[in-house]
Amino acid sequence: MPELPGRKVGIVACSGEELAEGTVTRLAALRVLEQLRPGETVTICLPLFLAGGEGDRAFARFYPTIALDGCEKRCAGRATEQHSGKPAASVVVTDLVSEHGLGRPEGAWRLNESGRQAVVVTADRVAGLVDELLGGQWNRRSGSFAEGAPATTTDQAPQAGCACGSAIPVQTVDVDGRAVPLAALPLIFEQLHGAGKAPGVEVTRELLETVKIYNDVPPGTDEAYTVALAREYDAFCRSKVARR
Amino acid sequence: MSPEDRRVLVVPCSGIGKTYGTVSREAAYEVTEDLRPGSTGLVALSLLVLGDEDARAAVRTHPAVTIDGCKLACAAKMVQESGGHVAKGIAVLDVYRRNRELKPQGIAELNEGGILHAVAEELAAIVDGLLAREEGSTHA
Repeated sequence: MPELPGRKVGIVACSGEELAEGTVTRLAALRVLEQLRPGETVTICLPLFLAGGEGDRAFARFYPTIALDGCEKRCAGRATEQHSGKPAASVVVTDLVSEHGLGRPEGAWRLNESGRQAVVVTADRVAGLVDELLGGQWNRRSGSFAEGAPATTTDQAPQAGCACGSAIPVQTVDVDGRAVPLAALPLIFEQLHGAGKAPGVEVTRELLETVKIYNDVPPGTDEAYTVALAREYDAFCRSKVARR
Repeated sequence: MSPEDRRVLVVPCSGIGKTYGTVSREAAYEVTEDLRPGSTGLVALSLLVLGDEDARAAVRTHPAVTIDGCKLACAAKMVQESGGHVAKGIAVLDVYRRNRELKPQGIAELNEGGILHAVAEELAAIVDGLLAREEGSTHA
């Protein structure tokens, strides 16, 4: 049975090509993804928030996300908030360089020694934030943490994670005459169907609650969403029967 | 010389999780820093994503060559969405298909002898062609 993606922390680096600090963000992100926290982190290319689809734009709502910026323009943090969701944490390389008394990183293509030190310092800071974020309970509906809630765990094998090309699956549904893209709906349908749950009032209620975890369902629209989800799940189950 | 003064802008994708994204970025550096430093400039894709006015103005007023590491073509799409014109787009995968013996490996650090230099040389040739065309139209 397909499973909803496990608990991980998202990392979005600015990768600013024209600055050495941009290269620091990229290499620090890769160091965390590949070496420091490989099983607990995933990344996405920043431009995919615009050039990709709804599943890509769901990234920072789905994963508590650390924005990793090279300079005070904070392209990664601001663009993530504009196009996906508010980052759970933010790191700016120039701040860390000052904080640690490092020399100025230079050489966007080939980093100088200060730049290489900045990579290590930045990666360590991000890894620490990953641990902190995994210790909290992320609410995918509000895009924030619930206080005092226990951490969840994942049993996935460690591997470097890139979300490029493996976005959260999205299904667009007609809700009261509006086309609404709903993140993770195909996986939710598969889960319910795999658990042997046939369409009905109780299952639709469960469906709505699960959809609300991954999507913003505006107040006062539960009834319209219920009608739409019941219809779509019924069609999904019929298509499964027809394929047998 | 600021990127605004140079005649051809190079816009690599920001591909972070795959080898071809690194090739795209490093080929852009090889051309803008080593092969054609006086006639090219880099534009950071993150600035276009954020809608930075200076970066948008740069791609609107200069021919841009994009380098993309995957079929999603973020660099080309972002230049177009910023109101710019993609004079020529390079797909790293296409260059690799023509040079199968040059398999790129690594993400944080590329292998020696991979596709990087072939992409950079193709990019430099495109820059030369664009500049020649520009000079031709100036002298016509």
